[in-house]
Amino acid sequence: MLSALNQTRHIHVSSPVSLKEIVVKEEDNIITVEGKYIKSPREALLVKPEHGECNSCSLCALNLNLKHTDVLVLSQFVRSDGCMLPKRVTGLCARQQKRVKWLVAMAQKSGLMPNLAPSWSKRDPKARYRSKKYNRYFDESTLPV
Amino acid sequence: MSAVGRVQQWATFGRMWYLFDAKWQNPFHSADKIKDILTGTHKPIYHDLNDCGDHVVVINSSEIALPGVEWEKRVYFHHTGYAKGASWTLAWQLHHKDPTMILRKTVYSKLSKNLLRRGRMEKLHIFPDDKIPDSILENVSAQLRQMRPIPKRLDHYTREEVEKFPKVFDWPKDYIIK
Ligand SMILES: [Zn+2]
Repeated sequence: MLSALNQTRHIHVSSPVSLKEIVVKEEDNIITVEGKYIKSPREALLVKPEHGECNSCSLCALNLNLKHTDVLVLSQFVRSDGCMLPKRVTGLCARQQKRVKWLVAMAQKSGLMPNLAPSWSKRDPKARYRSKKYNRYFDESTLPV
Repeated sequence: MSAVGRVQQWATFGRMWYLFDAKWQNPFHSADKIKDILTGTHKPIYHDLNDCGDHVVVINSSEIALPGVEWEKRVYFHHTGYAKGASWTLAWQLHHKDPTMILRKTVYSKLSKNLLRRGRMEKLHIFPDDKIPDSILENVSAQLRQMRPIPKRLDHYTREEVEKFPKVFDWPKDYIIK
């Protein structure tokens, strides 16, 4: 169990892997495993909505006009393998979650986030198959929400 | 005629050479702009019988961008004239064969259908990349504005820029960052 814990933690290539840190101490043949919460690196960078606290989700509160080319925002909703994070993690309402999901798909089809992709990806849009290697853009007004 | 008037005359009737960078541009919207320059309709001295069109040098035509699924859905038709001579080529197949062809065909179809058409097409110089022969580059004196902003890829931002960018939401406390 212990070694399994350690292994899962060391798989990741990028630095700090978790908001929880696992500390293992060994004293007099007693091993203590402690789970410690660490401070989120995002905490200081969070944007505050204009009119203070409200019940709406973070994107509704900010009232952003998100485009599929805004990769610096969209990449926050994506794991390092390019998968969209679930609603439980992003905290978005159903409408915004759907919209962000489509915008992320648009950005990936345009080849704007090639570094957020599965491990087997070549990470080069120009190396894609057939028509997928050519530049394309999308119109956000065609989205149903 | 005064010296000023003479120079004004040269400037009015001289041929201009415009540069247009087709990188991430929609070829169908760009063609609307290019055809106005080729025919000279943007000039106040324009007249049907007045040959006042300017030259347009298009670079990076291999990096044009098509909207949505148009690479797969747009079809170019050709018929050899013989029996069973019809062929249908998808936009991406045509672009793969010749990266200047989509833009050239679009401009050609947007020009008015008369005897001036071929002559106007001769004023259009398309290059798939940014390598232009010096004999053409030395004439260029102006640039056409691009119609769409060129998007920046996430991996072309520095690591610091991505990390220091304001964040929209924070992960829940038990989340494991992957
Ligand atoms: Zn919402």
